[in-house]
Amino acid sequence: MQQFVQYTILGLVLGGVYFIAASGLVVTYTTSGIFNFSQGAIAMLAAFTYWQLRWGWGWPAPIALLVVLGVLAPALGAVLYQVVMKNLRGTSEVTKIVVSVGVMLGFLALATWVWNPTASSPRNFQKFFGANAIVEIFGVRITWHEIISFVLALGIAAGIRFLFVRTRSGVAMRAVVDDPELLELNGGRPERLATISWAGGAFLAALAGILITPITGSSMSANALTLLVIDAFAAAMFGRLKSLPRTFVGAIVLGLTNYYVVAYFPSSWTWTSAFRQSIPMIMLFIILIILPQDRLRGTTVLRTRERFHMPTMRTAWIAALVLVVVMFSLQTIMQPSPMKTLAYGMTLAMIALSLVLLTGLAGEINLAALSFGAIGTIVVFHFGTTGSGLDARMTLWGIVLASLVCAVVGAVVALPALRLRGLYLALATMAFGVFVSKMVLSEGNPRRLFGRDFTIFPGGTLRIPRPKIGPVDFNSDKAFLTLVTVLFALLAIGLVAIRHSGYGRRLAAMKDSPAACATLGMSVVRLKLSVFMLSAAVAGLGGVLMSAQLGAVSAERFDIFLSLSLLMVTVVGGIGYASGALLAGLFLGCSLLAMTNTLTKLGADYASIQAIFAFMISAVTVLPATIGITMGKNPSGAVTDIVKGLNDIKQARPLMFTIIGFEVGIWLLTATDVLTNWNFVILTAINLLVVPPLGGAIMKKRAYAKAGVAPPTPAEFIGIDRAYTQLDLDEMESVLGFDALGVAAPVLHEGEPAHAPA
Amino acid sequence: MSTNISASHFSSHDGNGPLLELAGVRASYGPIEVLHGVDLVVPQGSVVALLGPNGAGKSTILKVCSGLLQPTAGEVRVAGRVINGATADQLARLGLCTIPEGKGVFPNLTVRENLWMATMAGVSLSDVEEIAYARFPRLGERRKQLAGTMSGGEQQMLSMARALSVNPALLLLDELSMGLAPLVVANLYEIVAQVSEEGVSILVSEQFARTVLGIAHYAAIVLHGNVTRVGTPAELEDELSAAYLGS
Ligand SMILES: Nc1ncnc2c1ncn2[C@@H]1O[C@H](COP(=O)(O)OP(=O)(O)OP(=O)(O)O)[C@@H](O)[C@H]1O
Ligand SMILES: [Mg+2]
Repeated sequence: MQQFVQYTILGLVLGGVYFIAASGLVVTYTTSGIFNFSQGAIAMLAAFTYWQLRWGWGWPAPIALLVVLGVLAPALGAVLYQVVMKNLRGTSEVTKIVVSVGVMLGFLALATWVWNPTASSPRNFQKFFGANAIVEIFGVRITWHEIISFVLALGIAAGIRFLFVRTRSGVAMRAVVDDPELLELNGGRPERLATISWAGGAFLAALAGILITPITGSSMSANALTLLVIDAFAAAMFGRLKSLPRTFVGAIVLGLTNYYVVAYFPSSWTWTSAFRQSIPMIMLFIILIILPQDRLRGTTVLRTRERFHMPTMRTAWIAALVLVVVMFSLQTIMQPSPMKTLAYGMTLAMIALSLVLLTGLAGEINLAALSFGAIGTIVVFHFGTTGSGLDARMTLWGIVLASLVCAVVGAVVALPALRLRGLYLALATMAFGVFVSKMVLSEGNPRRLFGRDFTIFPGGTLRIPRPKIGPVDFNSDKAFLTLVTVLFALLAIGLVAIRHSGYGRRLAAMKDSPAACATLGMSVVRLKLSVFMLSAAVAGLGGVLMSAQLGAVSAERFDIFLSLSLLMVTVVGGIGYASGALLAGLFLGCSLLAMTNTLTKLGADYASIQAIFAFMISAVTVLPATIGITMGKNPSGAVTDIVKGLNDIKQARPLMFTIIGFEVGIWLLTATDVLTNWNFVILTAINLLVVPPLGGAIMKKRAYAKAGVAPPTPAEFIGIDRAYTQLDLDEMESVLGFDALGVAAPVLHEGEPAHAPA
Repeated sequence: MSTNISASHFSSHDGNGPLLELAGVRASYGPIEVLHGVDLVVPQGSVVALLGPNGAGKSTILKVCSGLLQPTAGEVRVAGRVINGATADQLARLGLCTIPEGKGVFPNLTVRENLWMATMAGVSLSDVEEIAYARFPRLGERRKQLAGTMSGGEQQMLSMARALSVNPALLLLDELSMGLAPLVVANLYEIVAQVSEEGVSILVSEQFARTVLGIAHYAAIVLHGNVTRVGTPAELEDELSAAYLGS
């Protein structure tokens, strides 16, 4: 009995803190329609900042609390809304998810940058009034910290409910999601309300972070702390992101289960601790299954800002051929180590391709692509290899089996969420990803399954050999790179073919309007399911090849945060295109590594300014997230811009030939060992980045000279470089709208110098 | 261009000049210009109907007047003051009431909460409720119901209730008739006529010319982003069919 009371109280406290975090999610979702994935990261940042002020610098607790909760957190929320989230109006759900995921990854990178995870002394985060401030209730010892946490949770529950139901500002906050324009027409200020609610949401996240860190007694790790608050997602989902009472119930159930598992599972069950950590994600999954179906919204036609063109089959074939030729010429000049990096990038690109298929074509989201890669890898490890030692090879059968198993697992994961909106499927895949990381990949010990001893992930690392298909052995780096490149090219062509097929058109129709599809008699669920399975199979294939490239893989290779990074970078590259996937894979797999390597090497060479290079390395790790955050401004991705640039270059023949000529020259010099690999990379970058704008400028000048007209003077130099003309004045007036003011326009007399209007 | 709106209410304007005036207004969505120099006048206390085919730019004119869309050129004057640059919420608090096309209610708010939002224009909730329920008893019976679950006609009543209760100086209406039965439309326009008799100036956009011409003092034909013709309903009878069939 004693034990029951003890664990119940602890469970209630944990549930209370979950509720605080979840209520922050509900508040921001209610006012802006954005599910804030960065909620956990904000909590983590707040915990670290509070630690820094309180123990790092020894400030008194009240002042540290005031600074973090009263100033920094709300300011962060408000700035986040004003700078990032505000731009997301009218973008698709995918962009909304990716941007807030980008914010989360950015905060994570920032925290690791500022608070070095390998600090010499462990960071100690204590409870309020210390761990010894204890009272006894019902014969159970409880710390003041725990009492404060629970009371705060109750207070916040009551407070938010009062706000949303009883105050006009609160009701207006709910009105903002429905229709911000209409609220404006009513005389409300949607921007201000949304900013306030984001400030409030960040405050709640920060509070949850500070309360939960000492309660769970976990170490101060940025990733772990972020995931801790992500656990609250399940509670928010139980409240369907709007009902606070239900959110409260969900949070309490979550907290209680967490402690009852510790109390009542037999201690002989070795998986209890892993299971305990996965409870929130398992609950999230169950909630998604029982959640009633969304009303399909047919009335509101969304005009999203994303625009993707459909490449023709001919373009696809040419692009694929160019890719294969380029890779082939690269591998003839490359040293083994960059070639390995390149192959790794290509396998990531293949996984990214699964996202293009799912998100670009069908508008659904998978947040755990690499977890499917993990499943595929496990299948291949157990059933898909022949030989042993250095002669071990992956079999074709193993690759096919891995893809099939991934497709089936994909179906199981997606099925419950397919009736629901995209956000729920995204959350289901995330739950799956965390579950795989915590419960499957941690299975390093033998278990008796079906009367047979079996270890899923023996020793924490799996050795995966490279494939041999029929007589062709892909064991060498060159052969393997060729294999993944050709496979990627074929899959990319297949993708374009799908887009052109009737199936692809149905997917596109479903992406635009599920409701309209349903009325046309299409089975939306079957469509979604089939594309999700297909995408999971591709992800599995890519994951298997990635493992084969690495040779030995540990659980970290399939981390949920890596999956999230990949998705984000793919969306930045252009989720509508195979080339976007290529860009993403190469960027994440190669460029980042290359940049850090170069900077590290430079740092070693120039020891005196090594600190500057160290700083730049940290800055590079924040880079992808920073790019992700800017998505709101350009939701169609970088490829759209690149294609436009390529078209411009194609128009300017001399420029195109110059670039190609230079590149061939650089390649020849490298092939004949005049240039090193690194110089090749640098010269290529210069060729691609500097020549087009420079050459473009020269060509423009030439064209002007040929046509015999002077190039237009930039507006700010008119009157300095040349005199004003009546034409300039007229234009200025129409821009400034002077004629509407009824002021007589100054008439310029021939030859008379004019002054710019003040 | 500055917003020279003082705190005083639009309705305090007491000249006989026009209440709303558009002079050479151009407006665009992104790079596409859809209004190419619109001139329009709504005299004090009159009802002006904007008529024209789909996509002519009627809704866009109303958006410019209500402050949701900023004109790229030209002037919008209300009660003699230039309002270019003023935001929609500022204008709403100064006595301009807009009922947008099709969806004048917040679907996830209850009827009562919808009316509560109307009070941001500076009236008290009890007044709003009193006026709304007196005019539309159906709303009174359903004050706890979510607006999104009501029928189209009831939703339009709710948005009209806002127009009635905030006591505006200028009322902008966009396609009251959208998706509604003819009888309901006739009822709504009866109410519009009554509002107009109380001295409110009204600019209304409508596809179905017949319904609105019965109560309008003037009508303006909008074609391809221009006001091509203005006159009394009687004067325009002939041209109307041309505007819809030809061009
Ligand atoms: N948000 C928008 N973005 C881009 N173009 C738009 C937008 N809204 C309207 N347009 C375009 O502006 C033009 C004028 O549209 P508007 O809605 O003003 O027409 P309307 O006269 O109200 O038509 P209807 O009678 O069908 O309501 C149309 O060509 C339309 O395509
Ligand atoms: Mg319209």
